[in-house]
Amino acid sequence: MSLIAEFPPTSFVYADRIEDHDPPPAWLVALVKRARGLVLPLLLAAAWHWASSIDASMAYAFVPLDQVWERLLQLLSTGELAINAGSSLGRALTGLALGGLSGILLGSLMAGFPLVERLFGPLLQAFRQVPPLGWLPLVGLWLGSGEEAKQLLVAVAAFHPLLLNSYEGFAQAEKKHLEVGRVLMLSRWRSFRFILLPTALPSILTGVGQALAFAWISTIGVELLFGTGAGLGSLMHTAQMAGDMGVVLLCVISIGLMGYGLNLILSLVRARLLRWRVTG
Amino acid sequence: MNAIIDPRSVQADSAPAVGGLAIRHVHKGFDIDGRKLSVLEDVSLTIAPGQFVSIVGASGCGKSTLLRLIAGLERQDSGDILLNEVPVAGPGLDRGLIFQDHRLFPWLTVEQNVLLALSNSDEAATDKRARVASLLTLVGLDGFAQAFPHQLSGGMAQRAAIARALAPQPQVLLLDEPLGALDALTRLRLQSELQRIWLAQRSTMIMVTHDVDEALFLGDVIVVMQPGRIARILHVPSTHPRDRADPALAPLKAEILSLLHAG
Repeated sequence: MSLIAEFPPTSFVYADRIEDHDPPPAWLVALVKRARGLVLPLLLAAAWHWASSIDASMAYAFVPLDQVWERLLQLLSTGELAINAGSSLGRALTGLALGGLSGILLGSLMAGFPLVERLFGPLLQAFRQVPPLGWLPLVGLWLGSGEEAKQLLVAVAAFHPLLLNSYEGFAQAEKKHLEVGRVLMLSRWRSFRFILLPTALPSILTGVGQALAFAWISTIGVELLFGTGAGLGSLMHTAQMAGDMGVVLLCVISIGLMGYGLNLILSLVRARLLRWRVTG
Repeated sequence: MNAIIDPRSVQADSAPAVGGLAIRHVHKGFDIDGRKLSVLEDVSLTIAPGQFVSIVGASGCGKSTLLRLIAGLERQDSGDILLNEVPVAGPGLDRGLIFQDHRLFPWLTVEQNVLLALSNSDEAATDKRARVASLLTLVGLDGFAQAFPHQLSGGMAQRAAIARALAPQPQVLLLDEPLGALDALTRLRLQSELQRIWLAQRSTMIMVTHDVDEALFLGDVIVVMQPGRIARILHVPSTHPRDRADPALAPLKAEILSLLHAG
């Protein structure tokens, strides 16, 4: 392409030749670029297929793909996959909202008021060392294995990344911007909305990315460990008990794809919200 | 020269003049490592409404501190600063401040940046937008309303900052080395722009600079500072718009330079 720009066609013949080397259409380039990400998964599927065809014991560990496909169609037709996936998704997003918002709130307060920081800082630093699922025995004791317990554990997982990142974000507020706010006589609310929040936003969005991953992982984790109610983790748990490895595999794939999708959506939102930055 | 009609310039003859400043025996010091460092010592200065005052002095002479005291961002240790005979207590929309770095909010477009300066106004949203549009025309930023600051050159960003500072219609516009961060050519162009804007607005303007030519090109009055105090106040005899090559400016320039070297 750069060659064409540097040496514009001067004769008809020359122009004709260039036409042969026309760059491929943009959609094709985009498709090929995307498809590169599919090379490894396809190779993996081929290896799986090969392993499953060796003998019967291998076929138990690596369920033949045609059986997996059959189970997929069954799960889809009964609506089982959709119900369980929806349940997990709802749980993860509710937990993200509850834990994340409390994290942002406390993080902003800690950045704004040294007393809050001194009160909560040490305790939260210690709590942060406990992996979210490490609370499971205690929470199970207090709340049982119902929805409240699961929701609480997911919320805890989402809480810490957002607490930390929003604290850092709000602490970055620059004196020179706050001074402009004073000169313009901005109200407290407007200073927050137009100066503090935008300053903290890049950091908060980084926190949302981490919290989303933690919330999703913990959702599956608590479902697997409690094994009750709807959810991809519970479905996997039940399938494992029944020795139904096809469903286990389908659950793993669904979990991965849904996490990937959530991340993709977030990165689009992020690009939109931070379009004012020099480097997107 | 431009299509903006500032309501105040129309009324200027009938309305009482506002924007007069009286600075009386002002002292200001800062604590640095427990030691008191005096920055301003017994500074007194009277500025008439509508005047353009240039304050020149070497770095660290206290000229920026004086500006920040007038803006209300700092408080003097003793003495009075009176705007229209009323003591200054903190920032207020009757005074606008332009910094050396434009300090636009990078997350807001040019239009949103200027609109934010109008957030205390009761005007309808459409009136505000119209006012922002006319301000952007005044500073020569037509067509850049939707640009983000990082898309602007240094000179354009400073123009936007000027529009933002003018938006609340301050009686006094304070300029803290407003062109100090710009390249020489942009600087000359913006000096002429500032003069044009001042002629259109006729509000009091106080500009801190260490460029003597800039001070002489724009100022009716030149305040020469030596560390902590005012060394001399000079009146520039020539009128606006001003010719840089005006022979009346040369002896003043020599006098200012000798004062600065003596300090």
